[in-house]
Amino acid sequence: MSVSIAKQGYSLGHGHDEDAHEQVIYQETRDMRLLGFVLFLCSDVVLFSAFIFAYIYLRTTVAPSWPPIVGGHQLPRLDTAFAAVNSIVLFGSGVTMHYALENFKHANLRRYNVFMGFTILLGAMFLGGQGYEYAHAQIGGWSGNIFGASFFTLTGMHGFHVFAGVIYLLVLWYQTQRGVYTQERYFGLTAGTLYWHFVDVIWVGLFFLFYLW
Amino acid sequence: MATLAPGVKTGPYHAVLDHIHPEPTSFIRKYIFSIDHKVIGYQYMITGGLFFLIAGLLAELIRTQLLSPNGAIVSAATYNQIYSMHGSAMVWMVIIPLVTGGFGNFVMPLQIGARDVAFPWLNLAAFWMFPVAGVILFSSFLWGAPDAGWTEYPPVSLQGPPGTSMWCVAIFLIGISSTLTGINFIVTIYKMRAPGMTLTRMPLFVWGQFGTAGLSFIATTALAGALLALFLERTFGVPFYDPKHGGSPVLWQHMFWFYSHPAVYIMILPVFGIISEVLPTFSRKPVFGYKMIAFSTVAIALLGFSVWAHHMFTSGMVPWLQLPFMIITMVIAVPTGIKIFSWMATLWGGSIHWTTPMLFATGFLITFTCGGLTGFFLAAVPLDYHEHGTYFVVAHLHYVLYGGSVMGLFAGIYYWWPKMTGRMYNEVLGYWHFWLTFIAFNGTFMPMHWLGLLGMPRRVALYDPQFQFWNVFATISSYVLAGSVLIFLYNFATSFRSGKIAGPNPWGARTLEWMISSPPPYYNYKKIPAVLATPYDFGNPLPYIGLEAAAGAEEATPTAASHPVPTL
Amino acid sequence: MDLAVIEKVVATLGAIVVFVFALIGLRGEWPKNGLDDIVTKLLLGLMAFGCLLVLLATAGLLPRGGA
Repeated sequence: MSVSIAKQGYSLGHGHDEDAHEQVIYQETRDMRLLGFVLFLCSDVVLFSAFIFAYIYLRTTVAPSWPPIVGGHQLPRLDTAFAAVNSIVLFGSGVTMHYALENFKHANLRRYNVFMGFTILLGAMFLGGQGYEYAHAQIGGWSGNIFGASFFTLTGMHGFHVFAGVIYLLVLWYQTQRGVYTQERYFGLTAGTLYWHFVDVIWVGLFFLFYLW
Repeated sequence: MATLAPGVKTGPYHAVLDHIHPEPTSFIRKYIFSIDHKVIGYQYMITGGLFFLIAGLLAELIRTQLLSPNGAIVSAATYNQIYSMHGSAMVWMVIIPLVTGGFGNFVMPLQIGARDVAFPWLNLAAFWMFPVAGVILFSSFLWGAPDAGWTEYPPVSLQGPPGTSMWCVAIFLIGISSTLTGINFIVTIYKMRAPGMTLTRMPLFVWGQFGTAGLSFIATTALAGALLALFLERTFGVPFYDPKHGGSPVLWQHMFWFYSHPAVYIMILPVFGIISEVLPTFSRKPVFGYKMIAFSTVAIALLGFSVWAHHMFTSGMVPWLQLPFMIITMVIAVPTGIKIFSWMATLWGGSIHWTTPMLFATGFLITFTCGGLTGFFLAAVPLDYHEHGTYFVVAHLHYVLYGGSVMGLFAGIYYWWPKMTGRMYNEVLGYWHFWLTFIAFNGTFMPMHWLGLLGMPRRVALYDPQFQFWNVFATISSYVLAGSVLIFLYNFATSFRSGKIAGPNPWGARTLEWMISSPPPYYNYKKIPAVLATPYDFGNPLPYIGLEAAAGAEEATPTAASHPVPTL
Repeated sequence: MDLAVIEKVVATLGAIVVFVFALIGLRGEWPKNGLDDIVTKLLLGLMAFGCLLVLLATAGLLPRGGA
C-alpha cells in the first residue's frame, strides 16, 4: 500500500525535470498569495461597510431630516454633476488598468505602458477632483455635523486607499521597467489590478450613497 | 491494497512541501525575529502569559476593593480604570492572542502536516504588533487609563482621560494583527494540508482554528471602524456618537458588538478544538460525532455574526428587533449543545486516564456548560431587562471565559507541554493546580449569579452592605485562584530542570504532531506523510504513510506493524 | 455655458465609453475560471454598473427630487 502512494506523492523532485518542479512550486505559492490577497480585500470591504452602516444608521434613524438642519438652515446637497465626472475618471482608470494587465500578459509592453500611464494619471486626477470637492463642499466641514462627519470620513478613507493605490501602481510600473515581471510570473501586477478594481467599486457604493440617495 | 478514498485528490502541496530551507543561525533570527511558527507560538504564549498575570493582578485589586461595601483600596475613578483595563487586557491581550497566535501557530501547522504557515513573514509582523499594542495599552495608566469598561460606551468614553485614545490605538493595532493572522491561517489550512488530508480528515483542533480565522478576518475590521470613529471624535470632534452633535451612542454599540460578539466565539472555538483533542486521547476512544462537531463549529461561526444586539436589549433599540435577536441567540445553543453531548458521548464507555489535561478538559465541560446555560437565560429579553448590567452578567462571562477559555487553555498547555518542551510536567502539582482552580473558580464566580439577581450592579466600587458576605466569599476564593496560578508557574519552571524526558508521544495520541520528536525539529517533518483517515480511530493502525523520522531520532517511520497504538 | 451642463455632458459621454469598454473587457474575461478571474469579472461588472449610475445621475433620474 505504501508503494503506490510513495510513487504518487514522493517521486516529485526525484527524477522530475527541475524546471517543472520549480514551476509547480511557483504556481502553488502564487495561488496561496492570491487567496491571501483576496481575503485581505474582503476584510477591507468590512472596514468600509462599518462606516457605511454608520452613515445609513445616522441618516435614517438618528437625523430628523436630511441633509441635516444646522444653525436654522438645511445644508445643501453635494454637487452630483461634478462627482459624476470624477466618478467616470475613476471608473475609466479601472478599465485602463484591466487593459494594461491584459496587454502585459500578451507581451505588448508599449501598450501596457500607455494604459498603465493613463491609469495612474486618471487616479491622480480623481484625487485632485476630490480635493476640489472638499474645498468647495458647503456641508459644514468634517466636525460640524454628522453629514460632514460621515461624508468626509468615508470619502477620506477611500481617498487614502486611492492614494496608496497610486503609489502601489507607480511601484509596480517601475518594477515592470526593471523586468521583475515576466509573462509567466506577474502576480504583483495581478494583485495591483485587483486592488485598483476594489477601490473603484467601493467608490460605486459611495457615489450612490452620498450623491444619488 | 489501501489507497486514498476514491475521488480524493492527493492534495496540492506535495511539491512545495518537499523544500526544507536552511535553519537560521543567528540568535536574533532564531529567537527574536523568527519566522518559525513554533517560535512565534512560544512568543505569543510568553507575552500572553505575562499579560495574563498583569490583568489578573488588576482583578485581585478589584476583588480587594470589594471586600468592604465602602472599600477604600482605590478611589472610584481609579477603580473604573482598573476594571476597564482588566477586561480589555484579558480579551484582547490574553485570550485572543493565546488561542489564535499562541496555540494556533504552534499546533495547527503540525497537525496538518505542514512545515510552516502560508505567510511566515506576515506571521512575524503580526506577532510583533502584539507586545507593542500591549505596552501602549498598559502604559495608558500613566495618562489616565480608559474608564468606561472594556466596552467604552459613549458618551462616557468621549469624556474619558487620554488613555481612552491610547486604548483605541492599542486595540486597533492588535486588531490588525488578529486580522492578518486570520488570513494567514485560512490560507494555510485551505492550501497546505498534507496529501490525503481532506477537510473531513482534519483534526478537530484545526476545524476550530479554521472557524476562528474566518471570524477573525471578517469581524475585526468592523471594530477597527468603531475605534477609528471614536478616536476621530475624541481628537478632532468629528461627530458620530455624541447626541449633542447629531450622533448616537447606540451607533457605537452596534459597531462595537458586531465585532465583539464574534470575538467571544473567537475566544472559545479554538478551545473547543483543544477539548476535542484531549478528550478522545484520554478516553482511548474515537471522538463521538466528528462531523457534527466540525459542522457545528462552522454553524456557530456563521450564526455568531447575527446575534450582536443581544448585548443591547436595554439600549433603547426598537422592540421589534429584539425578538429575532433573542431567537437566533437561543438557536446558537443548539450547535453548542451538540458539541457538549458529543464530548460526553466520547467519554462514555471510554478507558479514562485522569491526567491533568483531562481534568481541565472535564472541568471545562462542567463550568463552560454552566456559563452557556446562564447565557441562555440572558438571551431571554424580559430576563435580560432584569439582569443586564448586574453581577449575573459578570458571573456568566467569567464562567464562559475563565471556566471555558482559560480552563481549556490550561488543558491545552498541559497536553502539548511535552511536545513543546520535550519534558513532562509534575502530575501531582498539576492535580493541585486543577483542583484549587476548580474549587476556587466556582467559589469566586458562583455567588455572583445571585448577587446579580439580588440587584448588585456591575462596575461599582461601592455597594449596598447586604451584598457584603458573598463579596467577601468571592474575594477570598479569588485569592486561592490566584495562588493556583503560582502552582502552575512553579510546575512550568521546574519541569525544564527536573521533568521527565517526554519522547515523541507520551500520551499515545494519534494526531500528526505526536509522530515527530519533542520538541519538533525546525522543519517539522522531513517527509510530509500522506493521510488515510481521521486521527481518532483508536484501536486501528495509524493512518499515515511515508513519515520519515528526523535525523538523529531513534524511532523508525511508524507503520501499523512497528508502532501499534500505544496504551498508557 | 453652465458648468453643471458641461459636467453632465462630459460625464454622459464618458460613462458610455467606459461602460462599453468595461463590457468588452468583461466578455474577454468571461470564460476564465481562476480566483483572480472571477474577482475581476465581479468587479468589472460592478464598475459597469457604476457607469449606469452615472447615467442615471446625468439624466436627472437620481437623486429623486433633484441634485
